[in-house]
Amino acid sequence: MSDTTSTTTMDDTLRYELLEGNGPKGAPTGDPVMSVRNLRVSFNTEAGVVHAVRDVNFDLWGGRTLGIVGESGSGKSVTALSLIGLLDDNAHVSGSVKLNGEELIGKSDEEMSKIRGARISMIFQDPLSALTPMFSIGDQLAEALLIHNPDMTKDEVRKRCIELLTLVGITDPENRLDAYPHEFSGGMRQRVVIAIAIANNPDIIIADEPTTALDVTIQAQILDILKVAQKETGAAVVLITHDLGVVAGTADDVMVMYAGRAVERASIDTLFERPSQPYTMGLLGAVPKPHMPAEHRLVPIKGNPPSLAAIPAGCPFSPRCPMATDECRVTEPELLPLEEGEGHLVSCHHMDEIRDKHLTYADVYPALEPLLPKWADVPRDQRPVVLEVKDLVKTFPIQGKGLIRRNKGTMTAVDHASFTIHEGETLALVGESGSGKSTTLMQIMDLVVPEEGTITVLGKKTSELKNARDRRELRRNLQIIFQDPMSSLDPRMPIYDVLAEPLEAQGWDKTKINKRIGELMYLVGINPDYVDRFPSQFSGGQRQRIAIARALATSPKLLLLDEPIASLDVSIQAGIINLLEDLQVQLKISYLFVAHDLAVIRHISDTVAVMHLGKIVEYGDTEEVFTNPQDPYTKALLSAIPIPDPKVERTRERLVYRDGKLIPASSLLPKSLK
Amino acid sequence: MARFLGYLAKRIVNYIVMIFVATSLTYFLACAFMSPRSNYESRTPRPSQESIEASLDKANLNDKTPVTERYQRWLTNIVTEWNWGLSPAGDSVNNEISSRIGASVKLMLLSTILSIVIGVSLGVYTAQRQYQWQDRFWSGLASVFLVIPTVVLAILIVFFAIEINQQTGQRIFYVTGLSSYDGPNFFIGLIDFLQHILLPTIVLTIISSVGYHLNQRTYLLDEMHADYVRTARAKGLTKKQAIRKHALRASLIPTSVNVAFSIASIFTGAVMTEKIFAIHGMGEYFINCINNNNINGAVAVAAFSGACTLLGALLADLFAAALDPRIKMS
Repeated sequence: MSDTTSTTTMDDTLRYELLEGNGPKGAPTGDPVMSVRNLRVSFNTEAGVVHAVRDVNFDLWGGRTLGIVGESGSGKSVTALSLIGLLDDNAHVSGSVKLNGEELIGKSDEEMSKIRGARISMIFQDPLSALTPMFSIGDQLAEALLIHNPDMTKDEVRKRCIELLTLVGITDPENRLDAYPHEFSGGMRQRVVIAIAIANNPDIIIADEPTTALDVTIQAQILDILKVAQKETGAAVVLITHDLGVVAGTADDVMVMYAGRAVERASIDTLFERPSQPYTMGLLGAVPKPHMPAEHRLVPIKGNPPSLAAIPAGCPFSPRCPMATDECRVTEPELLPLEEGEGHLVSCHHMDEIRDKHLTYADVYPALEPLLPKWADVPRDQRPVVLEVKDLVKTFPIQGKGLIRRNKGTMTAVDHASFTIHEGETLALVGESGSGKSTTLMQIMDLVVPEEGTITVLGKKTSELKNARDRRELRRNLQIIFQDPMSSLDPRMPIYDVLAEPLEAQGWDKTKINKRIGELMYLVGINPDYVDRFPSQFSGGQRQRIAIARALATSPKLLLLDEPIASLDVSIQAGIINLLEDLQVQLKISYLFVAHDLAVIRHISDTVAVMHLGKIVEYGDTEEVFTNPQDPYTKALLSAIPIPDPKVERTRERLVYRDGKLIPASSLLPKSLK
Repeated sequence: MARFLGYLAKRIVNYIVMIFVATSLTYFLACAFMSPRSNYESRTPRPSQESIEASLDKANLNDKTPVTERYQRWLTNIVTEWNWGLSPAGDSVNNEISSRIGASVKLMLLSTILSIVIGVSLGVYTAQRQYQWQDRFWSGLASVFLVIPTVVLAILIVFFAIEINQQTGQRIFYVTGLSSYDGPNFFIGLIDFLQHILLPTIVLTIISSVGYHLNQRTYLLDEMHADYVRTARAKGLTKKQAIRKHALRASLIPTSVNVAFSIASIFTGAVMTEKIFAIHGMGEYFINCINNNNINGAVAVAAFSGACTLLGALLADLFAAALDPRIKMS
């Protein structure tokens, strides 16, 4: 690229960014702290050269947050790692990353290490593995200070560490300094990681999916802490996430990435009000809304995100785009302003049409279908009860350590839980990790005789099952689907064997099995010719369809779903939700749905049971629970959900559940932020 | 601390019970399979029947006495006098073992230390240079030594040593035994010992450092890509500092377990190497016991190795607990 053209694009990028004023902080002012221009990153892999980031441009301003949104493989994490110079050695980086005018690309590891932690710092996705297990919290925090300030005395370091831990909301910081990471919960560890990140008052904080691994209430707290950290340091924050709700409440500017490129860039309010790239529209439309009742079916974006080793010709989104024309399949569109004089940038050949006709999600994507009538033939309360759980109790002994393990008491994982599921109905079991929802699910799956209470499946009490035959008969009607389709299918079994296994266990003969497998593949929308393929040849969404087909093989009456969509990309989730809804109407199956994503639950379930510390604290119709929650814990849980609408996010007050009472979240923050 | 000592005492009592059961079983097995009587019967001239019975009775090895009775007598001797019995020839097992432990320790101590130091350092060195030529060279070499049987390697080294001796016309290397100088001069004695110990030490060092090298390389590679190493780099440590300070410590935990077990094996010797270099250590003794129907000797060696292994297990736990705060020894 010649000098003249690069200068003009640089100016353009900055010029449009300075026009992005449709957010809570208005347009950026002053000089940016960081300027990224024509950033390209590629890796040599066995599958060929992977172009993970292609010509990304942006600027960062102190005190502002840039949200980078995208699905897995969109290049968002690679972009973040290249800013701080933490890419693997086999990465080829070109372009320019300037920090206050100083070029960072091409610096050696030693040179970058002087900048990392001092001027640019990073918060990682998984707090459980981000801290060294062998060193105490205090040591790890002190290391971050001492590496850049070797002259600090021991007392100064200690004082600063306590100050930092107080800032991120860790109570009793003096004593917690000597604690090890394994003595902290995930949310606490993420606070420590944030404390490390802000230790040296950096100019830039990069947060790579900082809350993805956390429960929803913890997520809300961490996002608040992140705001405190930004306020305290005046840093520019880059927030990388796939969750549009998180972006809505946190970011000032948003860049949507797809296949290594920015496809849309705008102020936060503009992006949510007027998404103008078909992919962004689809992304926003495919997500169920936690703050609105489900009125119509979700519309998934067809297909899968492309592999970065084989990016399709032309616009990379064209194979999935409902508007794609021949032009889209040949040349890749540039990122250009939607309206003259505005900072809203869109990369689409049909930009003019979208702007002039004011096309929205509803126009671009196939018509929204109304929800299928579920209770048409038989009303809900007249349907037979499929599962009844009454006063279920499950305790675990707390064991003493050492060779002779004496029981030191019991921990009640499930405490008198009761619920019923009718035929064709979906009950969602909601709660945070450790609330006992998975234990409940496993008790039902194992058809155990509970310690207390009863489990009744299809009218048969588990305590009355006499022999293995009875159990097998009942198990035919009870199947489970797990969270991770990557690991729940045996990688060395072709799909045929995966689907045949449950049928063989029920003693079916070969011809019947063959016929049934054909039906199943058709039912879940996978080409029946693919039965000889192995799970690794399918994408995540397809694998989850196969897992569903496997569960449906024996025509069960009840499906237990343990976080069935949590590990799938946003644009894929909608397809699986629709499939589950279709199957329910067609086959009259009942679902017991365990999930932490409350938006999905509001969309799919008929009744909700909210679990907290082993107890069901609220149980009722989904709409009733969401619109008029009674229990304080439910209220706190609902208020913690990030809503994909920046205006709603900004105006509502989050509530926190503390010792049975509700308090506003803002009262927990340091005074400086109020 | 009190809880820790209590825990330790409990562990040791447990181990003693385990050794007792294992050793008793070994005793019954050895009695069932070994026939010390044949040692006497095959002698020429054949001793008289009375003298055979008398010798066997004296050593508590007579298969005409019920095995339970022999076991009881054997056990009583151990518990009351720490006397592990007699060999069929009438020698005390205690004396034989105590003289051989010394030879094994001399042989193993140096090579164990060397192989840990060399193996672990090479592992760390090659892991940091994964897929570079240094890594390919050393790891390739390690794979070659991994597949060469001890016997072949030892004979090759002996062959080269003799070749050097012949070329120079001097006896630089000795290929059998541990010493051949009996004089009073300490330094000549030391040099003589070193000339003897060098070759078997080389063999043992190569063989066991290969294991340390390859394992340490794998452990460090696993840890090098851990998220917390990335966090350390994000704080401002260089890649090398982050690996040295954070990844290395974690990767030493499994290595320390191996080290603990090899400390125990110093005392039990190396069977093949001792045989080839004619060093009269524990390894050779064990083979001899089995060949010579020495029931008491074989059982004593088995008990001794059992004790060493359990000591190794205890050391391994202590090492791991010292390195990893997540493990609590109570």
